[in-house]
Amino acid sequence: MDGIITAGLIGVSLGAQYALLALGFTLIFGILGVVNFAHGGFYVLGGYLTYYFSASLGLPYALALLLAVLGSGLLGYLLETLILERVIKDSQSTLMVTLGFYLIMTTAFVVTFGPEAPQFPFPVTGVWRHGGVYFPYANLIVLMVSLLAIVFVYWLVYRTNVGRSLRAMSEERQVASALGMRTKTLFPFAFALATGLAGLTGGLVTPILSLTPHIGDPVLATSFLIVILGGLGSVTGATVAAFIVGMVEAYSAVYLGGSKGALALFLLVLVVLVVKPSGLMGKEARKA
Amino acid sequence: MLLRKAFAVLMMSTCLAGAADACELKIGVPGPLSGPATQWGLALRGAVEFVAAEAMQQQLIKENGQACKITVIPFDSKYSAEGAAAAVNSFAADGIKVVIGPVGSPEVTGTKPLAMRNHMIVMLNSFAKDSIGPQWPNVFHIGPGPSGWASPIIQVAKEMYKFDTALIVAPNDQGGTDIASVNAQAFAANGVKVTQEYFQRGTTNFAPIIARIMNAAPGAVDLASTPGGDAGIIVKQLRQAGFTGPILRLGGAGYPEIKRVAGGDEVLKDFVWYEPIYMTDQLQAVDAQYEKLMGGQRPENADFFRWLFASRMVMKAIANAGTLTDADKIAAELRKLPVSDPDGGEGHWIGKKFFGINQELSFPFAIGRVQNGKLLPLLRHDAVSEN
Repeated sequence: MDGIITAGLIGVSLGAQYALLALGFTLIFGILGVVNFAHGGFYVLGGYLTYYFSASLGLPYALALLLAVLGSGLLGYLLETLILERVIKDSQSTLMVTLGFYLIMTTAFVVTFGPEAPQFPFPVTGVWRHGGVYFPYANLIVLMVSLLAIVFVYWLVYRTNVGRSLRAMSEERQVASALGMRTKTLFPFAFALATGLAGLTGGLVTPILSLTPHIGDPVLATSFLIVILGGLGSVTGATVAAFIVGMVEAYSAVYLGGSKGALALFLLVLVVLVVKPSGLMGKEARKA
Repeated sequence: MLLRKAFAVLMMSTCLAGAADACELKIGVPGPLSGPATQWGLALRGAVEFVAAEAMQQQLIKENGQACKITVIPFDSKYSAEGAAAAVNSFAADGIKVVIGPVGSPEVTGTKPLAMRNHMIVMLNSFAKDSIGPQWPNVFHIGPGPSGWASPIIQVAKEMYKFDTALIVAPNDQGGTDIASVNAQAFAANGVKVTQEYFQRGTTNFAPIIARIMNAAPGAVDLASTPGGDAGIIVKQLRQAGFTGPILRLGGAGYPEIKRVAGGDEVLKDFVWYEPIYMTDQLQAVDAQYEKLMGGQRPENADFFRWLFASRMVMKAIANAGTLTDADKIAAELRKLPVSDPDGGEGHWIGKKFFGINQELSFPFAIGRVQNGKLLPLLRHDAVSEN
């Protein structure tokens, strides 16, 4: 029983982290129609900025994390405004631009911080235990912050005028523009929000795992898998899929082992896509 | 005007001819320069670059009495077979015949066939069960893998912690499974019942694997050849999960990175590992020599020294062979050389028993220990011998 509960806690923890990542990824696709291959890079950027502000400048971790989120968001804003906006109508160009930008980011991390992982521990240590069940406090904090961030994104997207405008543009960009919604303001904002979320995840998760320049590769792969499972562009689909992936990953790895567990996850995605090619909550075709 | 042009052309062709005549030894260095195994690649590259600079300073490599320039050409082989194959193909296109590296089993699998086809001599490292062999006569090994030193380390760990079960955790590819199986034999030979646990390379969060390990309740855990960055996360998460037994590292160097990622010696708590080098004053002096010659600090990974000794052996063989491109002649000279290094001491050629070919360098090594969160002095162990 302890094993089942522990695996469940691991699954929820993984799911919350994945949801935070996938939300940004799916927001960018849903609103801008861009598959952001630099998403993993913004996760790493969040990690390195938090590390730089806290370990090198000595700022408190929470403040360092906040600055990292702002920094990641700002860079995302500039990327969208200065580069992506020029090629936004050509999906192949946006794909190449974001992929190229990711490579530039990774090289910049190697040059600036070196290829090796720095010592970057989470400021809170200790583990909650009850019988054979355990949950590190660091993971608990990451889980809480992730859930708060997810709630914030939902509030923003579904309860504010900005969110309504963003959703309108994701439904029918030309009509939304004709009704006075400003794409020049809202697109960069959406991109900054998404990259800020990636930066937040990086700043939260890298201290409990590790921080290296290339850690964005598996992050991108996981984000991709989740948004495809949930349905490209669907905020709710990405959230639900993230928790499904987290739980499947945890239970399959715990009970089947590291190799077969990974296989189980991809089998699940395969089955879902065969049964429902648009993903769990995706629409048949994007209109934007 | 015509005369002036003719003179300019003559001068240019003289310069170009001079440049073409200057002898140059190019050494291909394939190794991981990105990803979790980067430390191993940096140690390799740093050592070869240092030995090249040292040899040029001593004018060791000559052709027709003229000292040759030595150029080191690193290539990021990404700890993968395809990366290493791309590296060797690139070296072949550059006419390179001397290759030092790569560092890991998947890379070695991608290296050997192409190196043989392109008549290269290779000095490599890997703990694969077929790292070297009679079918690859020009392939040499920088030192024994766990087949040489796993048993002595297990004996030291057992004396310190009294365990009779162990779990080996490793990546589920050749780089992991080969070493895990060799380690399993060493555990069994020392009366330890062993189980193996594999994970997908590229895993970033090991929490589910840790839960599995905790369910198995082993007396000790061996990280085998898990790259340093991943090993650090595993150690951190094992200790968070409440694992109190000793953790062994029988699959290669990496203590500094494991310690850094895990969060320090207090997190490692009880940790025993293979240390490629027993640090002496003479070896410590290499740090200053490196800094003087290369203008910076040497790579921190202790595999740097194994590559240093091996690269010096290759350099001596090239000097004795009197050729920069005939791999067979260089290999023949290398086989004749006694295993010796001015800083590393005396060793042996081994490998006949495990690989069927006596082309493995064996130098003295050390066993590292952290006990109860405190770093203990290294234990020196003589070079493994087959005599």
